[in-house]
Amino acid sequence: MWDKAALETQRIVSYFLLIVFAPVIYALFYWRYQFSAHELSEVRRRYREIRQQHPGAMLLCTNHLTLIDSIVQGAILNSMGGYLMHVSALPWNLPEFKNFNHSFIWRLTCYLGRCIPVTRGASREESQRAQDKMRYVLERGDIISIFPEGKRSRSGRVDDNDYSYASGALLRMVPDATVLCVYLRGMKFGGFADWPNRSERFFVDLEVIKPKSALKGLRETRDLATQIVSQLKTMEDRFFASPLAAR
Amino acid sequence: MSEAEVYEKVVGVITPFAKNADALAAISRDTNILDDLEVNSARLVDIMLEFEDAFDIEVEDEAADNIATVGDAVQLIVQKTS
Repeated sequence: MWDKAALETQRIVSYFLLIVFAPVIYALFYWRYQFSAHELSEVRRRYREIRQQHPGAMLLCTNHLTLIDSIVQGAILNSMGGYLMHVSALPWNLPEFKNFNHSFIWRLTCYLGRCIPVTRGASREESQRAQDKMRYVLERGDIISIFPEGKRSRSGRVDDNDYSYASGALLRMVPDATVLCVYLRGMKFGGFADWPNRSERFFVDLEVIKPKSALKGLRETRDLATQIVSQLKTMEDRFFASPLAAR
Repeated sequence: MSEAEVYEKVVGVITPFAKNADALAAISRDTNILDDLEVNSARLVDIMLEFEDAFDIEVEDEAADNIATVGDAVQLIVQKTS
Protein backbone atom coordinates (compact mmCIF):
# COMPACT_ATOMS: atom_id res chain seq x y z
CA MET A 1 0.00 0.00 0.00
CA TRP A 2 2.81 2.40 0.91
CA ASP A 3 4.61 1.53 -2.30
CA LYS A 4 1.51 2.40 -4.32
CA ALA A 5 1.12 5.72 -2.50
CA ALA A 6 4.81 6.44 -3.08
CA LEU A 7 4.48 5.62 -6.79
CA GLU A 8 1.43 7.86 -7.13
CA THR A 9 3.32 10.68 -5.40
CA GLN A 10 6.34 10.15 -7.65
CA ARG A 11 4.05 10.10 -10.70
CA ILE A 12 2.45 13.43 -9.82
CA VAL A 13 5.64 15.14 -8.62
CA SER A 14 7.51 14.11 -11.79
CA TYR A 15 4.64 15.41 -13.92
CA PHE A 16 4.55 18.85 -12.30
CA LEU A 17 8.32 19.25 -12.20
CA LEU A 18 8.40 18.34 -15.86
CA ILE A 19 7.20 21.87 -16.45
CA VAL A 20 10.52 23.04 -15.03
CA PHE A 21 12.86 20.33 -16.32
CA ALA A 22 11.44 19.51 -19.75
CA PRO A 23 12.46 22.86 -21.30
CA VAL A 24 15.98 22.33 -19.95
CA ILE A 25 16.18 18.81 -21.41
CA TYR A 26 14.81 19.87 -24.78
CA ALA A 27 17.13 22.90 -24.84
CA LEU A 28 20.14 20.67 -24.12
CA PHE A 29 18.97 18.16 -26.72
CA TYR A 30 18.38 20.55 -29.60
CA TRP A 31 20.66 23.52 -28.88
CA ARG A 32 23.48 22.53 -26.58
CA TYR A 33 24.15 19.14 -28.23
CA GLN A 34 22.44 19.95 -31.52
CA PHE A 35 20.83 16.55 -31.71
CA SER A 36 18.16 15.98 -34.31
CA ALA A 37 16.00 13.12 -35.53
CA HIS A 38 15.29 11.77 -38.97
CA GLU A 39 11.65 12.43 -39.94
CA LEU A 40 10.89 13.71 -36.46
CA SER A 41 7.33 14.82 -37.11
CA GLU A 42 6.48 11.50 -38.80
CA VAL A 43 7.96 9.52 -35.89
CA ARG A 44 5.94 11.56 -33.41
CA ARG A 45 2.80 11.20 -35.51
CA ARG A 46 3.24 7.41 -35.60
CA TYR A 47 3.90 7.28 -31.87
CA ARG A 48 0.74 9.35 -31.16
CA GLU A 49 -1.23 7.09 -33.47
CA ILE A 50 0.09 3.96 -31.77
CA ARG A 51 -0.80 5.34 -28.33
CA GLN A 52 -4.31 6.16 -29.54
CA GLN A 53 -4.72 2.68 -31.03
CA HIS A 54 -3.22 0.96 -27.98
CA PRO A 55 -4.14 2.94 -24.88
CA GLY A 56 -3.21 1.48 -21.53
CA ALA A 57 -0.25 -0.60 -20.46
CA MET A 58 2.69 -0.42 -22.81
CA LEU A 59 6.23 -1.75 -22.84
CA LEU A 60 8.60 0.44 -24.82
CA CYS A 61 11.31 -2.02 -25.81
CA THR A 62 14.38 -0.27 -27.15
CA ASN A 63 17.85 -1.35 -28.26
CA HIS A 64 20.57 0.06 -26.03
CA LEU A 65 23.74 1.81 -27.17
CA THR A 66 24.41 4.93 -25.06
CA LEU A 67 23.93 6.00 -21.46
CA ILE A 68 21.25 8.52 -22.40
CA ASP A 69 19.09 6.39 -24.72
CA SER A 70 16.05 6.87 -22.45
CA ILE A 71 16.36 10.65 -22.64
CA VAL A 72 17.03 10.66 -26.39
CA GLN A 73 14.08 8.38 -27.00
CA GLY A 74 11.87 10.51 -24.78
CA ALA A 75 12.81 13.76 -26.51
CA ILE A 76 12.17 12.26 -29.93
CA LEU A 77 8.93 10.34 -29.38
CA ASN A 78 7.00 13.17 -27.84
CA SER A 79 7.05 16.94 -27.76
CA MET A 80 7.23 18.89 -24.52
CA GLY A 81 3.56 19.73 -24.93
CA GLY A 82 2.74 16.07 -25.50
CA TYR A 83 4.22 15.17 -22.14
CA LEU A 84 2.52 18.04 -20.38
CA MET A 85 -0.89 17.19 -21.82
CA HIS A 86 -0.92 13.61 -20.52
CA VAL A 87 0.33 12.67 -17.07
CA SER A 88 0.80 9.08 -18.26
CA ALA A 89 2.93 10.05 -21.28
CA LEU A 90 6.25 10.01 -19.43
CA PRO A 91 7.45 6.39 -19.31
CA TRP A 92 8.72 4.67 -16.19
CA ASN A 93 12.32 3.47 -16.38
CA LEU A 94 14.03 0.53 -14.69
CA PRO A 95 17.63 1.52 -13.90
CA GLU A 96 20.05 -0.65 -11.95
CA PHE A 97 20.11 0.72 -8.39
CA LYS A 98 23.91 0.79 -8.07
CA ASN A 99 24.25 2.86 -11.26
CA PHE A 100 22.63 5.94 -9.73
CA ASN A 101 22.63 5.46 -5.99
CA HIS A 102 26.08 7.00 -5.54
CA SER A 103 24.94 10.61 -5.80
CA PHE A 104 22.03 12.68 -4.60
CA ILE A 105 21.69 14.41 -7.98
CA TRP A 106 21.35 11.10 -9.79
CA ARG A 107 18.88 9.80 -7.19
CA LEU A 108 16.81 12.97 -7.66
CA THR A 109 17.06 12.69 -11.45
CA CYS A 110 15.87 9.10 -11.29
CA TYR A 111 12.99 10.01 -8.99
CA LEU A 112 11.84 12.82 -11.26
CA GLY A 113 12.46 10.69 -14.32
CA ARG A 114 10.00 8.10 -12.99
CA CYS A 115 12.43 5.35 -12.24
CA ILE A 116 11.72 2.10 -10.45
CA PRO A 117 15.15 0.90 -9.31
CA VAL A 118 16.05 -2.72 -9.84
CA THR A 119 18.90 -4.64 -8.26
CA ARG A 120 20.66 -7.49 -10.03
CA GLY A 121 20.79 -10.55 -7.81
CA ALA A 122 18.32 -9.02 -5.35
CA SER A 123 16.67 -11.11 -2.67
CA ARG A 124 13.37 -12.70 -3.56
CA GLU A 125 11.52 -10.13 -1.40
CA GLU A 126 13.28 -7.17 -3.00
CA SER A 127 12.74 -8.54 -6.46
CA GLN A 128 9.07 -9.23 -5.76
CA ARG A 129 8.61 -5.70 -4.43
CA ALA A 130 10.10 -4.18 -7.58
CA GLN A 131 7.94 -6.44 -9.75
CA ASP A 132 4.82 -5.43 -7.82
CA LYS A 133 5.64 -1.77 -8.54
CA MET A 134 6.07 -2.50 -12.25
CA ARG A 135 2.82 -4.44 -12.35
CA TYR A 136 1.05 -1.59 -10.57
CA VAL A 137 2.15 1.14 -12.97
CA LEU A 138 1.38 -1.02 -16.00
CA GLU A 139 -2.04 -2.04 -14.73
CA ARG A 140 -2.94 1.60 -14.17
CA GLY A 141 -2.19 2.20 -17.86
CA ASP A 142 1.29 3.70 -17.75
CA ILE A 143 4.27 3.00 -19.98
CA ILE A 144 7.45 1.20 -18.92
CA SER A 145 10.59 1.73 -20.96
CA ILE A 146 12.90 -1.26 -20.93
CA PHE A 147 16.05 -2.29 -22.76
CA PRO A 148 15.37 -5.93 -23.63
CA GLU A 149 19.07 -6.69 -24.17
CA GLY A 150 19.58 -5.87 -20.47
CA LYS A 151 22.77 -3.95 -21.18
CA ARG A 152 24.36 -1.71 -23.76
CA SER A 153 25.53 -3.68 -26.75
CA ARG A 154 29.32 -3.47 -26.95
CA SER A 155 29.27 -4.62 -30.57
CA GLY A 156 27.02 -1.72 -31.53
CA ARG A 157 24.46 -4.18 -32.89
CA VAL A 158 21.44 -5.74 -31.21
CA ASP A 159 22.79 -8.60 -29.12
CA ASP A 160 20.48 -11.51 -29.87
CA ASN A 161 22.84 -14.06 -28.31
CA ASP A 162 23.25 -12.88 -24.73
CA TYR A 163 20.25 -10.89 -23.61
CA SER A 164 18.08 -10.46 -20.54
CA TYR A 165 14.72 -12.18 -20.13
CA ALA A 166 13.27 -9.31 -18.07
CA SER A 167 11.07 -8.07 -20.91
CA GLY A 168 9.49 -11.54 -21.12
CA ALA A 169 8.95 -11.63 -17.37
CA LEU A 170 7.27 -8.21 -17.48
CA LEU A 171 5.03 -9.26 -20.31
CA ARG A 172 4.02 -12.40 -18.44
CA MET A 173 3.03 -10.19 -15.49
CA VAL A 174 0.80 -8.01 -17.68
CA PRO A 175 0.02 -10.10 -20.78
CA ASP A 176 -2.31 -7.50 -22.29
CA ALA A 177 0.39 -4.85 -22.38
CA THR A 178 1.21 -3.52 -25.83
CA VAL A 179 4.81 -4.11 -26.85
CA LEU A 180 6.23 -1.23 -28.86
CA CYS A 181 9.67 -2.05 -30.20
CA VAL A 182 11.81 1.02 -30.76
CA TYR A 183 14.96 0.88 -32.85
CA LEU A 184 17.10 3.92 -32.05
CA ARG A 185 20.47 4.69 -33.58
CA GLY A 186 22.67 7.64 -34.36
CA MET A 187 22.92 7.95 -38.13
CA LYS A 188 26.22 9.87 -38.20
CA PHE A 189 28.26 8.06 -35.58
CA GLY A 190 25.95 5.39 -34.16
CA GLY A 191 27.24 2.38 -32.28
CA PHE A 192 28.22 1.83 -28.67
CA ALA A 193 29.25 4.96 -26.74
CA ASP A 194 28.73 6.51 -23.34
CA TRP A 195 27.39 9.67 -24.92
CA PRO A 196 26.22 10.38 -28.47
CA ASN A 197 28.43 12.74 -30.47
CA ARG A 198 27.44 16.37 -30.73
CA SER A 199 25.10 17.05 -33.69
CA GLU A 200 24.14 13.40 -33.91
CA ARG A 201 21.06 12.70 -36.02
CA PHE A 202 18.95 9.84 -34.73
CA PHE A 203 17.03 7.27 -36.69
CA VAL A 204 13.94 5.88 -34.96
CA ASP A 205 11.76 3.02 -36.13
CA LEU A 206 8.62 1.88 -34.31
CA GLU A 207 6.84 -1.46 -34.50
CA VAL A 208 4.03 -2.83 -32.37
CA ILE A 209 4.21 -6.57 -31.82
CA LYS A 210 2.06 -9.04 -29.90
CA PRO A 211 4.40 -11.71 -28.59
CA LYS A 212 2.58 -14.94 -27.77
CA SER A 213 3.88 -18.24 -26.51
CA ALA A 214 2.39 -21.68 -26.14
CA LEU A 215 5.08 -22.48 -23.57
CA LYS A 216 4.64 -22.16 -19.82
CA GLY A 217 6.68 -20.88 -16.90
CA LEU A 218 10.29 -19.90 -17.42
CA ARG A 219 10.22 -21.18 -21.01
CA GLU A 220 7.43 -18.73 -21.77
CA THR A 221 9.49 -15.91 -20.21
CA ARG A 222 12.44 -16.79 -22.43
CA ASP A 223 10.28 -17.22 -25.52
CA LEU A 224 8.59 -13.82 -25.10
CA ALA A 225 11.90 -12.05 -24.49
CA THR A 226 13.39 -13.78 -27.53
CA GLN A 227 10.53 -12.60 -29.75
CA ILE A 228 11.07 -9.00 -28.59
CA VAL A 229 14.84 -9.06 -29.14
CA SER A 230 14.35 -10.79 -32.52
CA GLN A 231 12.03 -7.98 -33.57
CA LEU A 232 14.65 -5.40 -32.64
CA LYS A 233 17.20 -7.37 -34.66
CA THR A 234 14.83 -7.40 -37.64
CA MET A 235 14.40 -3.63 -37.35
CA GLU A 236 18.16 -3.20 -37.19
CA ASP A 237 18.63 -5.36 -40.29
CA ARG A 238 16.02 -3.26 -42.04
CA PHE A 239 17.91 -0.09 -41.10
CA PHE A 240 21.24 -1.39 -42.37
CA ALA A 241 19.64 -2.58 -45.60
CA SER A 242 18.27 0.91 -46.22
CA PRO A 243 20.07 3.79 -47.94
CA LEU A 244 19.91 5.69 -44.62
CA ALA A 245 22.63 3.48 -43.13
CA ALA A 246 25.05 4.42 -45.87
CA ARG A 247 24.79 8.14 -45.19
CA MET B 1 19.59 -40.86 -8.08
CA SER B 2 21.69 -40.18 -5.02
CA GLU B 3 22.32 -36.65 -3.74
CA ALA B 4 25.98 -36.95 -4.73
CA GLU B 5 24.98 -37.89 -8.27
CA VAL B 6 22.56 -34.95 -8.41
CA TYR B 7 25.34 -32.64 -7.21
CA GLU B 8 27.72 -33.86 -9.92
CA LYS B 9 25.09 -33.43 -12.60
CA VAL B 10 24.13 -29.95 -11.31
CA VAL B 11 27.78 -28.86 -11.46
CA GLY B 12 27.96 -30.25 -14.98
CA VAL B 13 24.95 -28.19 -16.04
CA ILE B 14 26.23 -24.99 -14.42
CA THR B 15 29.84 -25.25 -15.65
CA PRO B 16 29.37 -23.87 -19.20
CA PHE B 17 27.54 -20.82 -17.82
CA ALA B 18 30.09 -19.90 -15.12
CA LYS B 19 32.22 -16.85 -15.91
CA ASN B 20 34.49 -16.97 -12.88
CA ALA B 21 36.94 -19.81 -13.47
CA ASP B 22 38.48 -19.57 -9.97
CA ALA B 23 35.09 -19.85 -8.28
CA LEU B 24 34.21 -22.73 -10.58
CA ALA B 25 37.42 -24.55 -9.63
CA ALA B 26 36.50 -24.20 -5.95
CA ILE B 27 32.79 -24.93 -6.42
CA SER B 28 30.87 -26.32 -3.47
CA ARG B 29 27.29 -26.47 -2.25
CA ASP B 30 27.73 -23.00 -0.73
CA THR B 31 28.81 -21.41 -4.01
CA ASN B 32 26.42 -18.64 -5.01
CA ILE B 33 25.53 -19.08 -8.66
CA LEU B 34 24.97 -15.39 -9.42
CA ASP B 35 27.57 -13.73 -7.22
CA ASP B 36 30.42 -16.25 -7.08
CA LEU B 37 30.16 -17.84 -10.51
CA GLU B 38 29.12 -14.52 -12.10
CA VAL B 39 26.21 -16.03 -13.94
CA ASN B 40 23.69 -13.35 -14.94
CA SER B 41 19.98 -13.68 -14.21
CA ALA B 42 19.03 -14.63 -17.78
CA ARG B 43 21.59 -17.40 -17.83
CA LEU B 44 20.27 -18.55 -14.45
CA VAL B 45 16.91 -19.04 -16.16
CA ASP B 46 18.73 -21.06 -18.85
CA ILE B 47 20.31 -23.17 -16.10
CA MET B 48 16.88 -23.84 -14.55
CA LEU B 49 15.56 -24.94 -17.93
CA GLU B 50 18.57 -27.22 -18.38
CA PHE B 51 17.78 -28.70 -14.95
CA GLU B 52 14.24 -29.37 -16.16
CA ASP B 53 15.56 -31.27 -19.17
CA ALA B 54 18.38 -33.05 -17.36
CA PHE B 55 16.27 -34.26 -14.42
CA ASP B 56 12.85 -34.38 -16.12
CA ILE B 57 11.31 -32.02 -13.58
CA GLU B 58 9.44 -28.72 -13.70
CA VAL B 59 10.93 -25.72 -11.92
CA GLU B 60 8.23 -23.21 -11.04
CA ASP B 61 9.00 -19.48 -11.04
CA GLU B 62 8.89 -19.26 -7.26
CA ALA B 63 11.18 -22.24 -6.79
CA ALA B 64 13.62 -20.74 -9.29
CA ASP B 65 13.59 -17.46 -7.37
CA ASN B 66 14.65 -19.32 -4.23
CA ILE B 67 17.74 -20.88 -5.77
CA ALA B 68 20.84 -18.90 -4.86
CA THR B 69 23.49 -21.54 -4.25
CA VAL B 70 24.49 -24.83 -5.83
CA GLY B 71 23.21 -26.50 -2.65
CA ASP B 72 19.78 -24.87 -3.11
CA ALA B 73 19.57 -26.33 -6.60
CA VAL B 74 20.63 -29.78 -5.42
CA GLN B 75 18.08 -29.69 -2.59
CA LEU B 76 15.26 -28.67 -4.92
CA ILE B 77 16.10 -31.36 -7.47
CA VAL B 78 16.42 -34.07 -4.83
CA GLN B 79 12.98 -33.07 -3.49
CA LYS B 80 11.44 -33.18 -6.94
CA THR B 81 13.00 -36.46 -8.02
CA SER B 82 12.50 -38.43 -4.82
